[in-house]
Amino acid sequence: MNLLQLEGVGVRFGGLQALQAVDLEVKQGEIFGLLGPNGAGKTTLFNVISGLTAPSSGTVRWRGASLAGLSSHRIARLGIARTFQNLRLFSSMSCLENVLVGMHQHARQPPLAALLQTQSFRRRESQLQQEALALLDLFQLEATAHQDAASLSYGDRRRLEMARALASRPQLLLLDEPAAGMNPSEKDQLRELIRRIRDQFKLTVLIIEHHVPLMLGLCDRLAVLNFGQRIALGSPDQVRRDPAVIEAYLGGGT
Amino acid sequence: MDAGLLEQMLLGALLGLSVYLPLRCGQLSLATPGFFAIGGTVAALLSTRVPALAGSGSTYPITSVLLEMALAALLTGVLALGLGRVVLRLRGIYLAIATIALVEILRVVTLNLEFTGGALGIFGIPQPFNSAAGYAAFTLALLALICWLCDRLEKTRPGRAMAAIRDDELAAASQGINTADTKLLAFVLSALVAGITGVVAAHFLNSWNAKLGNFDASITTLAFVVFGGSRTWLGPVFGGLLLTALPELLRPVGDLRLIVFGAVILVGPLFFPQGVITPELFKWFKPRIGGITTAAAQGVKQ
Repeated sequence: MNLLQLEGVGVRFGGLQALQAVDLEVKQGEIFGLLGPNGAGKTTLFNVISGLTAPSSGTVRWRGASLAGLSSHRIARLGIARTFQNLRLFSSMSCLENVLVGMHQHARQPPLAALLQTQSFRRRESQLQQEALALLDLFQLEATAHQDAASLSYGDRRRLEMARALASRPQLLLLDEPAAGMNPSEKDQLRELIRRIRDQFKLTVLIIEHHVPLMLGLCDRLAVLNFGQRIALGSPDQVRRDPAVIEAYLGGGT
Repeated sequence: MDAGLLEQMLLGALLGLSVYLPLRCGQLSLATPGFFAIGGTVAALLSTRVPALAGSGSTYPITSVLLEMALAALLTGVLALGLGRVVLRLRGIYLAIATIALVEILRVVTLNLEFTGGALGIFGIPQPFNSAAGYAAFTLALLALICWLCDRLEKTRPGRAMAAIRDDELAAASQGINTADTKLLAFVLSALVAGITGVVAAHFLNSWNAKLGNFDASITTLAFVVFGGSRTWLGPVFGGLLLTALPELLRPVGDLRLIVFGAVILVGPLFFPQGVITPELFKWFKPRIGGITTAAAQGVKQ
């Protein structure tokens, strides 16, 4: 069965058709890329999957069950985590606290134990802290654990968003332009990092990125969107040769 | 210092905490005086109309006060639960306006109802303590308890969720936080604190009327938090204590006192936009205090 399935998903903002009858299937364990020019509807598609935007038509299915009408926190609890293109960290909190908030759904403790700070409460809390530090370590952010998230460099903030998203122990990770603002060597590291977390956490990754070489080298399959429609789908090789893609990116002949 | 003033300061600190709780969750609610008024009215009605509560001693029994507090908490809690569901759909200044409306509706209703004493209010509320110092001790214990609860809240999961909502509600929801329920929790806790504070205030003031929960009080209590800071519970406590004391302490300057008071409220946010008490302040103090104590310990060894 497909992990995630989009059937004829359309989104209309007033007179603007942001997405039109998009069909997409994401299989367990794959790294699936979404390519397309600016304004093609990629982020809108992420917003539909994560419950921030309700589709005007069509259905999104998670393990076969429709996500229609579920609010974003419910969808997050099902195991779908995301990062944001325009970085939405909790800027008044430290990096460690950001990751701890990401663990929200696993951090529940009995209120009375939390009030009285029982031994089991403290043990669990320090366990969560260790887990959060390990995640920061994975993204080379351990040194900044106690700094405010707002004080980080741009690339570090992107990595912190990924660490926070992973903290919820998702099955599907949606990455919205994770390489934006990173330099070439950081981009290379990022590719390795995404592969590594996919294997280590048994993730499925859906990724939006403009950097085409990175995407061709990283993704198992790709879909290309243009003006809200899916114009191509397949392996990196197939997509690269697709005439519709070449036209969308380079313009058609006269 | 005069114990009566101390009591007023402690009540101010409690009301500051009531405004602070939703604000820490990013919700600007000005409903605190409304719930404060409900608490006061509950206490005034019960203690003057229910003879069974009066007991046999010369003073009004503390157990009756505690019972009034429990009932006020129940009433304000249930009301906040119902109202919060509706008004918390509003954001920012719109929530503030809706909660002001709530305070005004309550005031006008209290003013016009027969059993709340109309414009005159309720007089002769019995005294559980013979002196202002007794009230101050009782209120200090209450304040300490609520500060402790706030401290625990801040350091645990629901507190982190509240801070996350304040920073970015959409991102918080994407982490699996039920933002509607978390905001409602903060709103209900705020109402509970205001309600039980109202009970204590009613006994202390000896009379209760509709003027005690009005729009002016909304702004005054908000100033406690704006001045003190809304990042930790110490902020509103500091703001509530200081800003309640200031007009009294400034009495010697006569008519100038309200001008000076206004200037303090104005200058506070100008120099301390986050409020006077912030987590950064602790970070700044900690190594210094730590340094002093270790130096002292070494001095003792030598």
